[in-house]
Amino acid sequence: MSVNLTCKLSDRSLDRNQSSSQRQLAIAISANAAFDGNNAPLNLCLVLDHSGSMGGQPLDTVKRAARDLVDCMYPQDRISVVGFDHKAHVVVENQPVDRIESIKAKIQSLKASGGTCIDDGIKLGLQETSKGKDGTVSQIFVLTDGENEHGDNERCFQFSRLATEYNMTLHSLGFGDSWNQDVLERIADAGGGAMAYIASPEAAGEEFQKLLKRVQAIGLTNAHLILQLAPHVRLAELKPIAQVAPDTIELAYQTEGDAIIVRLGDLMTDVERVVLFNLYISPASYIAEYPTSSEIPILTVQVRYDIPSLAQINSLSSPAPVTAELVQDFVPQVNPQVQNHLLALAKYRQTQLAEQKLQQGDRAGAATMLQSAAKTALQMGDEKASTILQNNATRLQTGTTLSEADRKKTRIASKTVLQPPTNPSTDPSTNL
Amino acid sequence: MITCPNCAHANPDGAVNCEACFTPLPIVKNIQCPNCHATVLSDAKFCGHCGFNLSGSTAVNSLSNTGANTGANTNSENEIELSIDPSTEIFPVQPIPIAMSNILPDEPTEGDSAENLAANPFAEVTTPKFTDIENLLAAEANNPPVTESVEPSVQEPIKTPVPMSIKTQLQQFAASLLHVQTNLNIEIPAHLPVVHIGKPNTVIPPDIDVSGFPDSDIVSRIHADIRAEGGSFYFEDTGSSNGTYVNNLPLPAGNRHKLRAGDRISLGKGDKVSFVFQLSS
Repeated sequence: MSVNLTCKLSDRSLDRNQSSSQRQLAIAISANAAFDGNNAPLNLCLVLDHSGSMGGQPLDTVKRAARDLVDCMYPQDRISVVGFDHKAHVVVENQPVDRIESIKAKIQSLKASGGTCIDDGIKLGLQETSKGKDGTVSQIFVLTDGENEHGDNERCFQFSRLATEYNMTLHSLGFGDSWNQDVLERIADAGGGAMAYIASPEAAGEEFQKLLKRVQAIGLTNAHLILQLAPHVRLAELKPIAQVAPDTIELAYQTEGDAIIVRLGDLMTDVERVVLFNLYISPASYIAEYPTSSEIPILTVQVRYDIPSLAQINSLSSPAPVTAELVQDFVPQVNPQVQNHLLALAKYRQTQLAEQKLQQGDRAGAATMLQSAAKTALQMGDEKASTILQNNATRLQTGTTLSEADRKKTRIASKTVLQPPTNPSTDPSTNL
Repeated sequence: MITCPNCAHANPDGAVNCEACFTPLPIVKNIQCPNCHATVLSDAKFCGHCGFNLSGSTAVNSLSNTGANTGANTNSENEIELSIDPSTEIFPVQPIPIAMSNILPDEPTEGDSAENLAANPFAEVTTPKFTDIENLLAAEANNPPVTESVEPSVQEPIKTPVPMSIKTQLQQFAASLLHVQTNLNIEIPAHLPVVHIGKPNTVIPPDIDVSGFPDSDIVSRIHADIRAEGGSFYFEDTGSSNGTYVNNLPLPAGNRHKLRAGDRISLGKGDKVSFVFQLSS
């Protein structure tokens, strides 16, 4: 199995005479299943909240969704289930999915009572998952319906980050309206996974299936992007790196020598991860050295990844160079696909800024920011998100407060694309 | 430093999208105002320091300049200026910008660029005006009738190619004075509330200057005026030495006579400088 890598600059032409030009680079990565189509077996752990508030229909639908999930797994996959209230306990030990009926029965035995301590649940989930992590794609689904009353949010984020160091991915599912969307988003972002919003009990099954489909398409894990920037190129100061597809996640980076390393996590075979880099290019020094050159190198990019199906770690793709064209009479020619990615990031950032302003008490500022986010969403073609954001903006302006459900819908609308544009970006990608 | 208009984040120069919120940043550079050399942004319309109109030259600016700097103008303007007193020149020309401001930008004066600009979009409209003026100047040494007759001839060519400008004009009662002795028609400037008739002077410069007509020495410098009020025109002697006659009857100073079409106005005794009031609609 190998990696598909596509790099596109926001504008390939660069003004010779401008001292500093800003460009965005969109790198699209996915796993290429051409050679060895089979993915590694899945090692799934369900960390389920069964606190008192989950009593009745909520827990019933979650249990049913979990049981349906087991039905969709393959015999070589592994499953484990951890239940938590204010303490965590193992419901199904890490085992292959063959004694399906007994697994389902154990899931069914969950009863709703007690408080909520998410970090204990995650910790136990990590322990159970690690028992089966060799040669598998390890994924943890954390489901909760409320605030972390008996727990510590910071510990949650730490455990999430720890999971990625062991090449395990954490996804968060928020059930109902009482959970803290900031906490769950941070858990998902730190854990390299996705965040889902189960608005009503009936939606539980659907969300579980969507997430299962996502993880079943994972071909490569522990992927890192390694960038070598040319000396005349630098990253922007403020938040230069972010994933924009399939979800928007702000990414942190490390520098090792003169290389920049960004952890991506899992690579799917059916969906590309697109990462946007904000760069500043100062061509003056390069032009001084090579005055006749019409092309200017920007950077080279490599991917380091593990192939779980072959139990291979730290494979490196061959370095792919990215160059720009130096022109005398500069006319902006923006790449429309990169423009779309820019808009996705803009939508997320603008909504985040609106949330910040709201927390500071600046309702008018938040409403304005939400409106620009709605406009950005419309430019992208994401009309559903635009409607949600615009509704929120109007509600803020008329003085009503946003309900909890609204805020969660807004967070999901800003992070993901609810209505994809009519022309999805499909580009012939280069195999490496 | 480019400040984002959306979130006020300070972006380094060369940024196309804001680093914080990714809204497209306006590409503005700092340029110098051609008038006062202060730094202004390239997308500004007016200089914040001196008020100079940065979107190309305009009539108003250049006209005030022509009034002030008689020397620094283009050829046609110079010709006019030399042959006619600046004071008389300003008035007849001013109505044009106000009535048809589209046309005027070309008239300005600041340099060849303006004229070239003028030449292209308004070639058909403006050149007739100037050529008319030049022709009339060449033909007759009479300045005031020239400037006045410029108006109707100006309006005609302008009316046909650019009918749009007609819509923006205020409704006018086109009144004119036909000089009997020379058979020249002088349009009464429609927008002026008071039209002064006389000869050049420093106290009340005349709008209709009769100094070019024969026997004009019997006309006083401040002789008479015509007022337009509510669609009617009133004629009054403003203190002439030799008197004023309407239809050969003396009009005492201070008496306002409501003009009807066909009235004969005589400045001074003996019907030497006479006009027939005409209304054209």
